[in-house]
Amino acid sequence: MSAEEFRLLRDFVYGHCGILVRDDMKYVMQRRLWPRLEALGLTDFSAYYRYLRFDAQRRAELETAIEALTTHETYFFREPRQLKAFSEEVLPQLERRNARTKRLRIWSAGCSSGEEAYTVAMLLKDSGRFEGWDVEVHGTDISRRVLVAARQGEYGPSALRATPPDKVARYFVHVGPNRVRVRDDIRAWVSFGHHNLQDPDAALHVSRPDVVFCRNVMIYFDTAARQRVLRLIYDKLVPGGYLLLGHSENLINLSADFELVHLRSDLVYRKPELGGGGSP
Amino acid sequence: MIEEGRNAEEARYRALLELDVSAEGARETLVAGLHDESWRVRRAAAEGLTRVPGRDQVVERLISVLGERDETGARNAAAESLSGMGLEAVGPLVRLLGHVDPDQRKFAADILGQLGQSQAEDALVQAMLEDTDLNVRVAAAEALGKVGGKVSARALERILYDPEPLLQLSALESLAALRHPPPLPEVVRLLGNPTLKRSAYRVLGLIPQVAATELVCRGLGAESRSTREAALVALGTQAGLAEPSLRPEMEAAVRLALKRLPEAVAWVASALESDDIELKAGALVAAAALREPQLAPLVAEVAQEERLMPEVMRTLAYFGPETGRELLASMDRLSFPAREVAGHVLVELVDATFVPELVQMLDWGEVDLKAVAVQALGRTSSLEAVEPLAQLLSHPELAGPAARALVILAANFSRQVVQALEAALEHGAEPVVLSALVRVGGTAMLPLVRRTAREASVPLRATAVEVLAAVDPVGGLELARQSLSDESPRVRTAAVRVLGQVGDRTMAGLLKQALADEALEVRLAALEAVGECGAVDRVADLEALVPHPDGAIAYRAVQALARLGALHDEVLRKAVGHGDHEVVKAALMAGAASNEGVSLAVGLLGHASWDVRAAAARVLGDSGGPECLPATRAALAAEMDSLARRALVDAVERLSGR
Repeated sequence: MSAEEFRLLRDFVYGHCGILVRDDMKYVMQRRLWPRLEALGLTDFSAYYRYLRFDAQRRAELETAIEALTTHETYFFREPRQLKAFSEEVLPQLERRNARTKRLRIWSAGCSSGEEAYTVAMLLKDSGRFEGWDVEVHGTDISRRVLVAARQGEYGPSALRATPPDKVARYFVHVGPNRVRVRDDIRAWVSFGHHNLQDPDAALHVSRPDVVFCRNVMIYFDTAARQRVLRLIYDKLVPGGYLLLGHSENLINLSADFELVHLRSDLVYRKPELGGGGSP
Repeated sequence: MIEEGRNAEEARYRALLELDVSAEGARETLVAGLHDESWRVRRAAAEGLTRVPGRDQVVERLISVLGERDETGARNAAAESLSGMGLEAVGPLVRLLGHVDPDQRKFAADILGQLGQSQAEDALVQAMLEDTDLNVRVAAAEALGKVGGKVSARALERILYDPEPLLQLSALESLAALRHPPPLPEVVRLLGNPTLKRSAYRVLGLIPQVAATELVCRGLGAESRSTREAALVALGTQAGLAEPSLRPEMEAAVRLALKRLPEAVAWVASALESDDIELKAGALVAAAALREPQLAPLVAEVAQEERLMPEVMRTLAYFGPETGRELLASMDRLSFPAREVAGHVLVELVDATFVPELVQMLDWGEVDLKAVAVQALGRTSSLEAVEPLAQLLSHPELAGPAARALVILAANFSRQVVQALEAALEHGAEPVVLSALVRVGGTAMLPLVRRTAREASVPLRATAVEVLAAVDPVGGLELARQSLSDESPRVRTAAVRVLGQVGDRTMAGLLKQALADEALEVRLAALEAVGECGAVDRVADLEALVPHPDGAIAYRAVQALARLGALHDEVLRKAVGHGDHEVVKAALMAGAASNEGVSLAVGLLGHASWDVRAAAARVLGDSGGPECLPATRAALAAEMDSLARRALVDAVERLSGR
């Protein structure tokens, strides 16, 4: 892959979805897209770039390319300290706040193959606070392929590598050797949809959430794209709603719109009560 | 009460965000905001001040806030705002370096470092060498690490002889940041200083010489963990900078050093799992030297740091065949990026003994793991692999890889593979199976292909059209003619492609219909086919499509005209005026050898897209005459884009030699 081919492909992907492939990631881009060249019978990355621009199948191929470029690394009960803070400190507050409506909406933005969304539903179930409520954990991702896997709700050992055995026993059923499926009552609280976080119009179908999990998603974006995503999340969140980022992420130099909330076991962000914005 | 306080804070924050920065009094409102008790409000004020008109006055006002001794929050916010002011803040801040109060001089040095403008370099060097306050000198040394330049580097090297350890430390760190190591003997002296040792290893890593590696290796054997880790970091940096020819010698030195350490494997394993990316990079070099199979899964996990992926692949490639089994056994526990690299390595290492484990993986793995197992099964040269692969031929995602794996196995088991593919086709396999069948079975498969061309399945029909033409051009052309009237655009597209590939200029009539097809994919295929089969009778149709607003159509029209040798000057001029830069580049390349093309290239040196400017430069480098040199030189002088500059430098060099 020449420097020019890299730049053309990188800029094209960025323009579509805000994912920035840094200069030192040329090797990774080359490795991950090379199988696409082979599958399409193309000889070089210039031809692949033109395929993405001009072929009748360009839309589908762009999705495939983005999918190849993003890592769908996720697993159940990832970042337990944050999940503890969510269960023990955020959920009680949400129960009090929404006691009248008995309605709870959680958005797992960039949900990949669904582990995070199902984990959240399991935590809600564990808490015992929301039985009989109108609960929905909505997972979205730019990759349609991972959404198919998310809806299936079937996983192998890798996805369960941080899941305590009692949780496996409680929330999964065995469907084959080394394969489990999320139990139906958890699945009933979880839905999935396709969404490009850089497209504000596409967020219209997402209900206004009380909590947004957007963990290890913004690592793919540059500052401008991160700020667009944060603006979108800010607008969507209900006033007083929470934003949970990955453990290596923060909003320094990105946004002061959210307040930093010091919980006992973690730090989370919250949209101030008087926060403006808001879309249906 | 707390809630009320939060609401009041939010109201102040919102008020500043919504403030009209050009309104009278806005600057002082924002300056007041710098003094707010809330960091969010201070942050909004600092950001707002960068947008207030009359930046000179704003900078001076912010500098005055830096002098408010008891207002820590406001001073820091003012500093933050100043660091967003760009070049206009440099002059006033350089003047502040001469302030009587050392606290303000230190602020000035810090902010100049944040601004990163080279115009501040001389003043910072002077502050570092001559200021009477140590803190200011240290701040200036640190700032020089961000401002950069040869003058800074020389001055920082001088500071390495200063008696103040803190200053020496800052100088070393800045030299490391500038990637400008001092001479090796100087680093050797500093390695003996406990305070400076860690930083000395950092700069040692920047010296890709075997002598430096040997020093690093001594550090690997140190008793202190922090020294060992610093040495490991240096090793990673060195490996990244070393010429490939130097790597074996470096690695031999590392291997020798690690062999002497009884705990080396455990220690490297722990470094591979650390959160420090630089330490991980060094641990990879050490792991490559140790070649211990048990380290392989941990090495693979380092791929979670994507930028280290090349080094991970390289490291695993050093490991022996035992690694394959180690990786396979741990595959279910690895993260996604680790599986990606482990899979790649595994495929290279498998043999027939791996088949049972790989087949098991097909049962439980996620799709990406299954794809690895499929690819690996194809490399086992084992008859036992055929059946499990054949079972995947109707899997929408795995049929392609399975068919490719079977084609590889057919080198040894042709008959069994053909049987498996035929059976799969009978039971509704994916179209890719048909292509595989013809690749393995050759012309003996033609009756089957013809039969398939009458199938109800659209993908199978389309594949049959293309596959038949590949082995029987005459029969393929006949089928393609018939298939042009197929109700499915996908089949018609396949037929048009065949006309291009195996037809000749007499296809022009058929392609005329295809160029007017209702489906875009058919029209696009027809544009390519016209050029491919030399259907010159369609030139007028192509010329009419060059200005088409859809770049996909215009690009193909230009390409086809170029292929037919029919891209005339007038059309060329239209094409380079197209709004899509790929169309412009295609036209440039097509007209490169002509006088008109060269003349257009000169004009395109000022195009808005960097890639068009680069392409124009290449055309001039290839085909331009000496008369193009002034324009190319002028374009080079004005060019800001690195890749376009590279092309222009090359063009100027070549034109100068003519």
